[in-house]
Order: sequence, then structure tokens, then C-alpha cells
Amino acid sequence: MTPIDLQDRAQYLSLALFAQEMVSVLMEYVDENESRKLKTALRDALNSLKGAERASVSSQRRAAAFASYEQLRTLEEVWKPEERAKAKQMIQAILREPENPKVKPAANDLINLFSKLQDQALWNFEQPRPVSPGAMQRLCKLA
Amino acid sequence: MQAGLAALLHDAAVLHRFADFLEEYCKEQERSQRYIDASGDFFRYAENLARGIKVKLRSYVERASRFPPEIAAARVATLRREMLTFKDYLRLLHTLIKPAADAHTLSIPAPLINLASDQLHQIEGMKDSRIVVLLTPQLMYFQRPHTYVKEDAGRVEKFISQAKFPTKLGFIELPYSQGTSFFTNLAIYHEIGHFVYEELSTLRRKNPHIAALESVKDKSLAKFPLQKDPQVRKLAEKIVESWTQEIFCDLFALRLVGPAFSFALVEILSMLGSLSRQATVTFDEEHPAPACRFAEHVKLLRKDSWWDAIAHCEPEQKKLLEKLAEIPSTDYRVYSDDSGPKRLMGAFVHSIVPAIEKLVRQVTPRAAPAAKRFVDTRKTIKDCLSVGVVPHNTSTPPDPVSIINSAFCFYLTALPDIVTTFEGVAAENDVEIRSRWTKKLEDWTMKAIEDSQVRSQFERTQRDGPF
Repeated sequence: MTPIDLQDRAQYLSLALFAQEMVSVLMEYVDENESRKLKTALRDALNSLKGAERASVSSQRRAAAFASYEQLRTLEEVWKPEERAKAKQMIQAILREPENPKVKPAANDLINLFSKLQDQALWNFEQPRPVSPGAMQRLCKLA
Repeated sequence: MQAGLAALLHDAAVLHRFADFLEEYCKEQERSQRYIDASGDFFRYAENLARGIKVKLRSYVERASRFPPEIAAARVATLRREMLTFKDYLRLLHTLIKPAADAHTLSIPAPLINLASDQLHQIEGMKDSRIVVLLTPQLMYFQRPHTYVKEDAGRVEKFISQAKFPTKLGFIELPYSQGTSFFTNLAIYHEIGHFVYEELSTLRRKNPHIAALESVKDKSLAKFPLQKDPQVRKLAEKIVESWTQEIFCDLFALRLVGPAFSFALVEILSMLGSLSRQATVTFDEEHPAPACRFAEHVKLLRKDSWWDAIAHCEPEQKKLLEKLAEIPSTDYRVYSDDSGPKRLMGAFVHSIVPAIEKLVRQVTPRAAPAAKRFVDTRKTIKDCLSVGVVPHNTSTPPDPVSIINSAFCFYLTALPDIVTTFEGVAAENDVEIRSRWTKKLEDWTMKAIEDSQVRSQFERTQRDGPF
């Protein structure tokens, strides 16, 4: 692992840990009806997903996740745009009525989505790839 | 047996063994070696983390055996994924622990590191910061910072509460082959720049000077139609951020240690073969072109009175600096075939770089007094070095920055004189002898710095009382 690798890998791992935290609080909520950490974690996730759509340099380090190119790329690899929209809706639904047992299936769906994200982040940690040539070509056209 | 439990037990045992090794390894290093500054804090963090992971593993096995059968397979898979995530975090630390263990006091330029730490503490907001030195197998300096390792540590702490990453802990890396040398290791000031930039950028209450730079970067990026493609926008941010940090760290180092840093950078880039005409004008994704960096060096050194202060010293390295600084920015290219985002590079050079210089001026002490002290003492220091005497026993004791710059100028211009004085004219072109005297010169310089620090400590104690 070279130092540059290390920094890139650490970003993937940060995303894996973020997804793990989400899975962990959602599992506690679904399996044990425990919701103490739920709201804060879900709000962080929602803000991160929204932040990923309108990024700026000054917000770069303050967002909970998807703050870097590597993290956003991982998200785009694993969640289709409709899944991102659905994830946001499900998070909002749970935040609105966490006591309502009808939102538990949504929490289970979110566990699956965040588990997929964690798997992909761990895979990218294992096999980090250089910047996507497509993204670089688009950047060269635009800037 | 519960579904998947056997596989989970196997994974847990493997991870337990890995964590156990790292814990014992760190303990052993602390027992058997002497380290400067914060390496011990880092080892203790790794030990606490390893212990915490081992405790966590017991809870996983217990939980896995209690899941209702209908969800057991999925939940056990989740726990195994968690274990893999912790194992990967230990792998990251594994990469840092060995280089930290290798960097004991006998293998690094301890007086230089101590001096740099003292100077770091003078920077606003960095008073309690500490440094871990790593000896890396890579023959390179100027690596990227370790921000995300610390971010990972923060996330891991949510699961393993006893693993608290020490606050304000920075990492600097030296190639192991250069561990005991002095002049090239002035590059650590650049690395400390990364640490300072990280700390200032991640403060809860935003540093106003950093905020001003971020605003300039936002405005520069807003000139390009990147909003509709978030991935490309992030890529542009990543590239600009890397370039920004490199220029920041160079200028930060110059403000702390003066032109000796420029000379050290020339030495290093030359050693790495990065000073061909094509390489010097080429930006890559991580670094601005060396010509752009050196242009900023010369500009800052002129403004800070350092350029006049070293007017007497005319080595090839200084001429190279001037030559590179004169290359017009229109000659810069992004990638060797100039296929990169050139307009982004233009915006960086013309709008962002001036804002970086402003930030550096605001977070570092004024450099003109150091240049003046150098002018006042350089002849005395040179006279000492010329006769093989450590420059500390003079009527006006020189300060470390003057010693460093005088010694570097001496190394670049007067080394042949000392070789002929002590070894005779026949030795002038003997590479081995020249190399030996370079080492002696570095040793005298380090000794002078060490003496200067002891004296400063004595003076501080006389003035403020002990502790």
C-alpha cells in the first residue's frame, strides 16, 4: 500500500464504516425496537445524499459521507438514481413516524441498500481504481 | 449450529489473531525503542483498538447464536461484513505501524524533528499538536495527507469506544534511506504543512482564512458548467484540492525555514528525476508543475527579503530556481500530452494561488526577521563550518533557521573548499570523500540545532520558571 493508495483506500473504508453505522442502527431498530441513535444517523444519511447532488468545495469536509470523488463514485456504482430517490423517501418516512410498525419493512430495505453500499466500498478498498477515464474526459471538455 | 455461525467463528478467530499480534507488536516497540514526540500515543491507540476489537468479537459470537432462524443467515452475513470492515481498518494501521516502529530516535534526524515540532506549536491553533514520524519504503516525499485515516478512526470509535484517536496527531514520512540525513529531510516542513492545512480545514468553527480560500475555490469552479455532473464536479474539486495543498505546503515550509526548503526540494526532485524540461512544466492530478511551484517560491522569498539575504550565495540550484520561475504560465501543461483540464489549471494559477499565498501569510509568523537574523549571523556560521567547528559557541548564538540556511548555502557552494582544506587538493574530485564530508556537515548542523534548542529551553526556564 503506497501512501497515495492509503489515502484513497481510507476514503473507501470511511464510506464502508458510514454504511456499517447505518446498518447497525437500522438493525437495532428493526430487531430490538431500539431507536436512540436512529434519528441522528438517518438525518446524517439524508443530508449526505442531498449533499452529493449539489457539492461545493466548502461543504466537502463537513458532509457525513459521499464527500469525495471516490465515495461519490462508489455510490453511483452501486445505487441507481431511482434507488437513491427511493432511499431518501424511505429515510424520510422513518424519520416522520419511527414508532409506526408499518415503516419497519422500509428499514429492512434500507439495511439491504446500505449493505450493498458497504460491500462495494469494501471491494473498492481491496481493489482501488484510478480516476474513471470517462469522468476525466468529461472534465477536460468542461474545464 | 446456527446458520453461518461456523464461518463467523472462523472469521472472528482470524481477526482476533491479527489484532492480538498488532497489540503485542506495539507494546514491544514501546518497551524496546526510544521514540520522539507522539509515536507512543499512536502505539497506545493501536493497542486500545486491538483490545476493543477482541472484546467486540466475543459479542458477535454471542449475538450470532441468538438470531431467530428466519433472519439468522442475513444477520450473520452483516456481522461478518462488520468484521471485514474492522479487519480492513487494522490493515490500514498495519501500513502505518511498522514505519512508525522503524522511526526510533537512532534512525531519524531527531533535532530537526524537534525543531519542526517547536515551530509547529507557534502556529495559531496548533499548540497541542503532536507528530508521529514514519520511515517509509517509498523513495519519495510530499505524500498526500492522512485526513481520511483520522476520519476512519472517528467512525470506528462509534463502535469501539475505548479506541480514541489522539487529538491533533499528525504523520510525517521520510524515506528510510534518508532517515539520518539532514538537508533533504527539510521536506518534513512541507509534510507539516499538510497537517496544519488538515487541522485548520476540519475545525468545528471554521477558520476564517481557510473559509476565504474555499470561497475563492468555489468561485473558480463555478466558472465551469460542472453542476449537472456531480462526479465530474467532485473530480475537479479533488484535483484543485491536491494542487492547493501542494502550493500551501511549499509556501508554509518556506515561511518556517526559508530558502533552504527550496534547495531541498530541488535536491529531491533531482534525485527523483523530475527536473527534465517536460516534467517541470507538467501538472498531474496530484501536483502542480514544479515550474509553477518554484515560481511561487521565488515570489515569496523575494517578498520576504530572503532573496536579497541569499544574494551572496549563487549555487546552480538557485540559478535553476530562477530559470524555472521565469517560465511563463502559458507553457504549463496538464499531463505530458497536455490532454488534461487546462482551463481548470489556468483558473488555479491565476485565481487560487494568490489566495493560497494570502492564507499562508495569515497562519505563519513573519519571515523578514528570520531573514535579517540570517544576514547578521551567516558569516560567523560559515567561518565555524569552514574550520570544522559546530556553530554554537559564538558571541551571538545563532538561531536554528539561520544555521540551517547558512549550512545549506555552505553545502552548495563551499563543500569543495572544506574537502581540500582537510583532505588535500587530490581529494577534491573524490566522490566518496565528498559524500563523507557532506555527512559531517549535516552532523555539525544537527548538533548546532540541538544546542540551540537546549539553550532556548534553558532561557525559557530562566524566564518563566520550571514547567
